[in-house]
Amino acid sequence: MTGDVAPEGKEYTLEGFAVPDQLDAVHDLLGQAAGEHPELDPMDVMLFETAIIEIANNVVEYGKPEGTVRWKFTIRVHDDEIEAELDDTGQSFTPERGKDMPGEDAEGGRGLPLAEALLDQIDFERLGDTNHWRMVRRLGQIPQS
Amino acid sequence: MSFEEVDQGTHVVLAPEGKFNLVAAPPFKARIDDLVAAGKSRLVVDLHAIDFIDSSGLGALIGGLKSARQQGGDLRIAAAGPQVKAVLKLTNLDRILSPYESVEEALHDW
Repeated sequence: MTGDVAPEGKEYTLEGFAVPDQLDAVHDLLGQAAGEHPELDPMDVMLFETAIIEIANNVVEYGKPEGTVRWKFTIRVHDDEIEAELDDTGQSFTPERGKDMPGEDAEGGRGLPLAEALLDQIDFERLGDTNHWRMVRRLGQIPQS
Repeated sequence: MSFEEVDQGTHVVLAPEGKFNLVAAPPFKARIDDLVAAGKSRLVVDLHAIDFIDSSGLGALIGGLKSARQQGGDLRIAAAGPQVKAVLKLTNLDRILSPYESVEEALHDW
């Protein structure tokens, strides 16, 4: 049955350690979802990929104890939006939301502002002993330029 | 990420491949710092083989640009793909890291 259109509501899931080598697996997971949903605009996929990788980077870089944090990614494609959920076992923290994009000279600090610029919804909460992110991009809203 | 490097005398062209991310950015920035320290401060980063950049990659380019300019040179980027261009625009970095269409164009006045 390979090559068939993915059934409505299919989830794409990845579990493992939140370490740099696993970032490729996140790219691959979204690539699999996009491959099974040819109706997705490649620009939407690309921008969503950029956003979820920035959030994944945050977990890889700042999740403690370093190298032992585990994560679970879930991606869902809906008619009007694409959604990712990320649960990680890193320490409790509070992301600094709503910050402006840093100035041109800054070498860091763009990750979360960039993700926020690319997503229509980004929720964070601490659930028990895991951090939970939910990231949503509405489809078909790419400005023509 | 691997990258090719060609020293043309008046300038150096660096051509990274694959994903320019938090794994690739530190060694790339370190190489730029080495080049600048060795007096090679006119740099072109040929991005044609980069299919994805994240904020770490952007940080390495900005850091490299600052290093090069401090030594009287410059860092220019060429042949960026759609994802790189979109991210540069969203972060407003296209104002100081204006993408040239080709390496040849980036070299126009060197």
